[in-house]
Amino acid sequence: MLKVENIVTRYGAIEALKGLSLDARHGEVTCLLGPNGAGKTTTMFSIAGILNPHSGSITLDGNDLTNQSAPSIVRKGIALVPENRLIFPEMSVTDNLYAGAYCRSRSERQAVDDDLAETFERFPRLKERRAQIGGTLSGGEQQMLAIGRALMARPKILMMDEPSLGLAPMVVEEIFSFIHQLNQEGVTILLVEQNAHMALKVAHKIYLLEQGKVTFNGSPEDMQQDEMIHRAYLGVGSS
Amino acid sequence: MTDFVQNCIDGLMFGSGYALLALGFTLVFGVMKRLNLSFGPSIMLGAYVGTWVYLNISDNTWLVALVTLIATITVGAYVERLCFRAIRRDATIASMVSSFAIWMQLEEIAMHLLPERTYPFPAFFTTTTLEFGPFYARSEHITMLLLTLALLILLHAFLFRTRLGLALRTVSDNPLASAYMGINGSNILFLAFALVSVLGGLAGFLILSADSQVTPFFGLWATFKGLIAMMLGGMGSLPGAILGGLLLGVVEANAFWYGGPVIRDLSAYLLLFVMLIVRPGGLIGQRIVAEQRAADERV
Repeated sequence: MLKVENIVTRYGAIEALKGLSLDARHGEVTCLLGPNGAGKTTTMFSIAGILNPHSGSITLDGNDLTNQSAPSIVRKGIALVPENRLIFPEMSVTDNLYAGAYCRSRSERQAVDDDLAETFERFPRLKERRAQIGGTLSGGEQQMLAIGRALMARPKILMMDEPSLGLAPMVVEEIFSFIHQLNQEGVTILLVEQNAHMALKVAHKIYLLEQGKVTFNGSPEDMQQDEMIHRAYLGVGSS
Repeated sequence: MTDFVQNCIDGLMFGSGYALLALGFTLVFGVMKRLNLSFGPSIMLGAYVGTWVYLNISDNTWLVALVTLIATITVGAYVERLCFRAIRRDATIASMVSSFAIWMQLEEIAMHLLPERTYPFPAFFTTTTLEFGPFYARSEHITMLLLTLALLILLHAFLFRTRLGLALRTVSDNPLASAYMGINGSNILFLAFALVSVLGGLAGFLILSADSQVTPFFGLWATFKGLIAMMLGGMGSLPGAILGGLLLGVVEANAFWYGGPVIRDLSAYLLLFVMLIVRPGGLIGQRIVAEQRAADERV
């Protein structure tokens, strides 16, 4: 479905991605794991059109997305839940959600309103706080708002950048059970995480990134069996 | 007492002109978090083009109004390109200084276009004085007040009821996140600037045609009054801009009546000074500041 082939992305002279390839298959949760500075966020930004890869190609269902602008990529069905949530702090919860649907055409107004009602059903806490401004929500509520906002674009692929960052363990559990539930409903997800334990529970396929390259890819079971990787990412003695 | 009430009525009328100017400042500040010092001078240059047409081509008031509006929008677009788009978003001081440089440039252009100091500006209104019991009001001032209130309502509806208004608010609130939503920030900012120029052109035309004259100092005057009115009301707040403008008008009118023209100008600065000490966020801004602080603490 989403196919990234051999992309090279640079920040000035620094090559952040050195020929990275990955596949995200329809209906699956694909997870990128790796240490800080491995290029996980850069990969997401390259796919979302926020950064332009220097070479390589990105396709979604056969349509070329390489070097397209961010708005046109949102329109083609890729939505991003950014790191640190980045909600609109001075806008109401409802307006935050409407902003997520900005790229949908005017003729879909009715469908957008239906999706808003659906989002409120999914997140009753957001419904309770729909008139409150985003900045007054708790961290977990803001993460739900960021996810709800991305879903308002009706994406084919939902990209999530470290959804567990800075949240209490209880809330992390809640977010991940929600990711699992979304996937059960058929949403394709590309997930970036540092929390390998949580990621393994929901992922169908894992990519390990180090210094801008994929160093391992396979199922969570494959990863459990690889002694070296198991030690590096999951720690000694855990199972 | 009758004098005082009459002063307040006059003040509201003058104040509505200030309020229109403050609306322009507050919109730019609210959306871009930057001050556009050359807002006043760009209105002045627009009015100069209008008055040039009036002197040389046609004395049709509607035409002059249209030319003034279009010229102000053009100058506004020029300012946007040079002071705001060309300079990085986080370089607040740089864009403020460059808007000051453009101010000087616009004044020079106006003086070259029409080298004498004072020019007539077509009166749009046929002045009639309306009597309400013991009180008087000039019809053009009532028109200006009503128009200002109507514009406030329209602007509010635009910002909170339309798709473009939503996009504008997202760019103002979190530019990075709005880019992730697929919103083209620089187009939206240009639109905001065009909107502000329309407001400025309208304000300039209404104020000048009530005064029936224009001088190169109008730019300085408009920037001062607009900035003071905006800061009184609260930076970035639309109703604040209106309240600040009206308050400034009322205080000035009373100061003029009881103390003369020098006291009137002093009173504006004194009022600003007191407000900055007592309520640094302005009449309405204070609430926003407090909410923001509460939000920051929670995160």
